Amino acid sequence: MSFLSGIRDYPWTSLLTGILPARLAGLLPARFQTKQAQIVPSASVAGHALTVVIAIMTFLACLTAGAVYMVNQSAQAWVNDIASEITVELDPANEADIEKKITLVSLFLAKQKGITKVRPLSAEDSAKLLEPWLGQTPALSALPIPRLIAVEIDRSSPPDIGVIKSALAQNFEGVTLDDHRRWQAEIKTLTRSAALGGLAVLGLVAAATIAIIVSATRSAMASNRGIIEVLHFVGASERFISREFERHFLGLGVRAGLAGAVAAIVAFLSLPFLMHLLGGGIVTAAETRRLIGPGELDFAGYLLCVLVVIVVAGLCMLTSRLGVNRVLKSQE
Amino acid sequence: MIRFDNVGLRYGSGPEILRDVTFHVLPGSFHFLTGPSGAGKTTLLRLLFMSLRPSRGLIFLFGENVGALTPSGRAGLRRRIGMVFQDFRLLDHLTTWENVALPLRVMGKKESDYSEDVTDLIRWVGLGDRIHAYPEILSGGEKQRAAIARAVIARPELLLADEPTGNVDQAIGNRLLRLFVELNRLGTSVIIATHDYALMDQLDAPRLILYDGHLQLRGAR
Repeated sequence: MSFLSGIRDYPWTSLLTGILPARLAGLLPARFQTKQAQIVPSASVAGHALTVVIAIMTFLACLTAGAVYMVNQSAQAWVNDIASEITVELDPANEADIEKKITLVSLFLAKQKGITKVRPLSAEDSAKLLEPWLGQTPALSALPIPRLIAVEIDRSSPPDIGVIKSALAQNFEGVTLDDHRRWQAEIKTLTRSAALGGLAVLGLVAAATIAIIVSATRSAMASNRGIIEVLHFVGASERFISREFERHFLGLGVRAGLAGAVAAIVAFLSLPFLMHLLGGGIVTAAETRRLIGPGELDFAGYLLCVLVVIVVAGLCMLTSRLGVNRVLKSQE
Repeated sequence: MIRFDNVGLRYGSGPEILRDVTFHVLPGSFHFLTGPSGAGKTTLLRLLFMSLRPSRGLIFLFGENVGALTPSGRAGLRRRIGMVFQDFRLLDHLTTWENVALPLRVMGKKESDYSEDVTDLIRWVGLGDRIHAYPEILSGGEKQRAAIARAVIARPELLLADEPTGNVDQAIGNRLLRLFVELNRLGTSVIIATHDYALMDQLDAPRLILYDGHLQLRGAR
């Protein structure tokens, strides 16, 4: 009940005037306006330097969250791609007529339920797959390169990979099936590592923000000691006093948070341009796209930035509330 | 309304400023608190206002043991008390009107409900032309009157005033005394700490006299 009444009784209307700059607050409807000055002057609580620091923290948090989100989206796309394809590998060592065997295996695979497309790769195509590592060399044709069959599977009703695997082993010698699970697992591990790294950075940013706000709250309390004393004398409760401070910190969190988030969004939008500016060509762009997808945030990504702003503002408000309560208790 | 039982107070390990102070004040009463400078008048008022804790003894305010109160309990009692400080304690960034309205604002009352009362009271204490002025441009007497208006605006059940006429001329002093008497007539208990005998002689009210840390009551009917 006290929590609900706390929400009901919170000075939400005056909160808006605390968040907005004075010029904009003056344009608000009459019910948001008050003739009276703030009991705790905002200049004595949140200076420009503090606003800049919180904005930078939000910027870093948004960049981290956005980058993790993009990597996650890109990795998900990779996993989806890999999961919709399996590869059948034929050992060329013991086979004189490998082309005939490829045809037989392809026909066998095409008959299986859940397989939508079977695409045997020619010897040249198989060799080309090694070119990124070995380069273009005539020696490739002399190597006993395994022949591959790319098989697309129906993801809505996938085949039983185990059954196909054992059927291939029974009917064809030297034929193996790779369902790319190892790669999927590695991509998932990579994504989880990126997410964990991102969370660690976000945790550090949150910890730094809390430390800054705790310190700022203490100095604001110290510089407003006289005001707090008078508020006590006129019967203000600790809740009232902490509200007077937390309102400023919430306003600071929203203003600085929005500035940081907008800067991060601009950074994401200008990422391709920045790469171009730094001398990156088409290849760099293509590689980046392969690594982190299109390099742009989608709607959910922008929502994530808004969420970061809400969390930063909430963190500023709650930390200042706890800080004020702690100082008031120590003064008893 | 107020009961002191063997209250003693010392700062740190120094000598006792107040010793075995025992008295009680009934609701609706009017008292002067007097004594030579340094006798402990302000200290006694601070004990009454709960900004100091006694070294020993018990203090009861409005039937509550002050020593057992929580912070919110203390805040609740302070809203029932109006205090006029010797050094005024006005907030420099607030206008006279805002300073006077502060107790009502703290109580969570709507500005529209008290706006007129605040303006009327400020005019009554003779600060009508200083309503939008900030404390730094007010004279000592004007600050005094603004502080008194702040103390009485919420119609407190108990009014404590520390040398309330110390910075004003006699005419204004008499006017302020009339305000205190009027408040007392409406049911507020009043304790005025002063060493202004001329002021005390204007009223037939009991005197709490502090001397050498001890308290005596004179003139009780």
